[in-house]
Amino acid sequence: MAEEKKRKKSGVIQVLKDIVYGMSSHEMTRHAVRTRASMEHLFILITMGDLLGIPILPPYYSLRLLPYVTPQISSWKRRMLRERDVTDVLG
Amino acid sequence: MNSLFAVILGIVTVYLAYTRYARRIDRSVIQSDPRRATPATLYMDGVDFMPTNRNILFGYHFKSIAAAGPIVGAIVAATLWGWLPALIWLVVGVSFMGWASDYSAIVLSVRNEGNSLSAVAHRLISPRTRTVLFLFIFFYLLLIAGAFVGIMASVLESQPRTHLGMILLVAMGLLLGQMLYRWRSGLLAATILTVGITLLAILIGPLTEGTFKGLNEMLNGITGGAPIVTYFDPTLASFKGAEAKIMPSLLFWALAICVFCYAGSVLPIWRMAQPVVYVGFWVTALAMILGLAGAALGTFVKPEVAQFRIPAFKGWNPQLGPAGVMPLWPMLFVTIACGAISGWHALFGTVGTARQIENEADMLPVGAGSMFAEFLLGLLALLAVSVGAKGSPVAAFANGLGGFISVWGIPLDYASSLAFAAFIVIVLVVTQLIFRVMRVTLTEWLGEVVPVFRNQHVASFISVALAILLVLTGTWIYLWQLFGAANQLMAALSLLLVTIWLASVGKAWLYAGLPMIFMYVTTVGSVVVTAYNLYFNVYRPNVAAGRLLPAAGSGLMVLVSVLLVMAALLIGLDGWRAFLKYLGRPAPAPGPAPARG
Repeated sequence: MAEEKKRKKSGVIQVLKDIVYGMSSHEMTRHAVRTRASMEHLFILITMGDLLGIPILPPYYSLRLLPYVTPQISSWKRRMLRERDVTDVLG
Repeated sequence: MNSLFAVILGIVTVYLAYTRYARRIDRSVIQSDPRRATPATLYMDGVDFMPTNRNILFGYHFKSIAAAGPIVGAIVAATLWGWLPALIWLVVGVSFMGWASDYSAIVLSVRNEGNSLSAVAHRLISPRTRTVLFLFIFFYLLLIAGAFVGIMASVLESQPRTHLGMILLVAMGLLLGQMLYRWRSGLLAATILTVGITLLAILIGPLTEGTFKGLNEMLNGITGGAPIVTYFDPTLASFKGAEAKIMPSLLFWALAICVFCYAGSVLPIWRMAQPVVYVGFWVTALAMILGLAGAALGTFVKPEVAQFRIPAFKGWNPQLGPAGVMPLWPMLFVTIACGAISGWHALFGTVGTARQIENEADMLPVGAGSMFAEFLLGLLALLAVSVGAKGSPVAAFANGLGGFISVWGIPLDYASSLAFAAFIVIVLVVTQLIFRVMRVTLTEWLGEVVPVFRNQHVASFISVALAILLVLTGTWIYLWQLFGAANQLMAALSLLLVTIWLASVGKAWLYAGLPMIFMYVTTVGSVVVTAYNLYFNVYRPNVAAGRLLPAAGSGLMVLVSVLLVMAALLIGLDGWRAFLKYLGRPAPAPGPAPARG
């Protein structure tokens, strides 16, 4: 019984924590994530030649970046090919 | 009437509307299915499309929709028609329209691959509708910017006690950005330091009142006490209308706000816009929580601060100025926008919140739940202005909210200072974001045709200059109502899209269609009334007196009114055709829903 009460209490506290986080910091987190995504896009751009098999930059640097870039390709494609309009700025 | 009764009424409204109506629509019409994959899970890119916990999303959505609207709207409506019509509209509006608009916009986006309203309009109605919607949105943003800068400038000019708090808010926002992103300080320590100093500055504001009053007098001394602009204000002399003056001090504060917004628009978002919003959030959250709890407890602890002092009903058609009309229908329904129903929520919900919905079962608590929470904020503003009663509408709100906060033992003078600051903070943080969006919108639209608009400084400067022009007309109430009308029209258009979509998939559309018809007719009617008021009450007297600036500003507002009506009629016509098309064809057989992985 006491265990159940404790669990409920910690559940309520967690809900309040989540709501406060959502109000105060979630937007900042989203912005940080967006900034990281733009950096990843840059990496993908500079390694594009090697991804396609056409070396453009000195291969040493882009080959070192490739293992980090490859897992991002599918989400990068989704982001790049998605239709956008000016109202997207609001989100 | 006292504040406790109103708080109980608000809570009962939320409970009944949520459990008896909203939940029923969610189950029987929308049939939200927790097993169906949402765009956040289907198209997860880790950035825009990201499944997020429902409690976090509730906080995020609520904070993004709850700006100055629910507060200012309630203040103005209570001043014009009395507290009773405002209370009835808040309760009826949120119960039958507001939640439906917010929730349905999120549903629309979730069931349409996370697309924005304009993209859905393009697909369901016609490409022209999307173009008209974009034009509409720009003027909508301009009206928000003008209305918000105007009210903030007049509050800052008349309340020198708030200056120190606002200056420190900006300084602490800059410091927070530096601490978090450059010095890599911990969030908790940085928050305690910056929010603590800002709150201290706000609370000791009354002690610095004399200094800033001196600054205002010095500024007014530049022109020898002569005004910069003289205009005809229909709200003065008990709404009979009189000559009003814009003094250098008001222009100074309007420009200071614009400089702040300009910086927020062109600086990296982490440098200024975001940290100021973060610090401001804690200030307003503190004021609102203390205020709402104080409003409920005040009846027992301090009955004198909880008793309504303004008339319940002031009349069906208070005359504003010699030629102005202000009929309760349609004007009340656009004066109180947020808190009852708002188009901004739908706009934001589709591009921000819907793409993070983890589970269809979250759409109702996040969309409708946030709207009901905002209704409570609007109710608090109405209570505050109803018990405050003294001074200008904003001063009455701050005195009332200060009274509620004083229930907790804070001296009334300091509590009112906190209430004033909370009001300005709410308006300020939204305004800077609006200018940023306006700048991006101008660049996107005109950058291809006129390359100079690609320059962020040019686009920001033009946005700020247009807003200042509207402020210098001095016709703030009309500007607010025009913004309210554009906002409600946006809600009607969003409900129109939802109705068409519901018809296109063979679902019952009446729950969205009926509010849409009411809001559409009401808002188009209100824009016509506002255009009439502006033309006969402001434009003509100013032209007759040879006042160029107020005449140009009010002329611009009349033009915007005409454009808004034309845009609404075009979208309505296209929407009606699309609706008939979908209604006439058999409902598509339900295909297999994409299942969660």
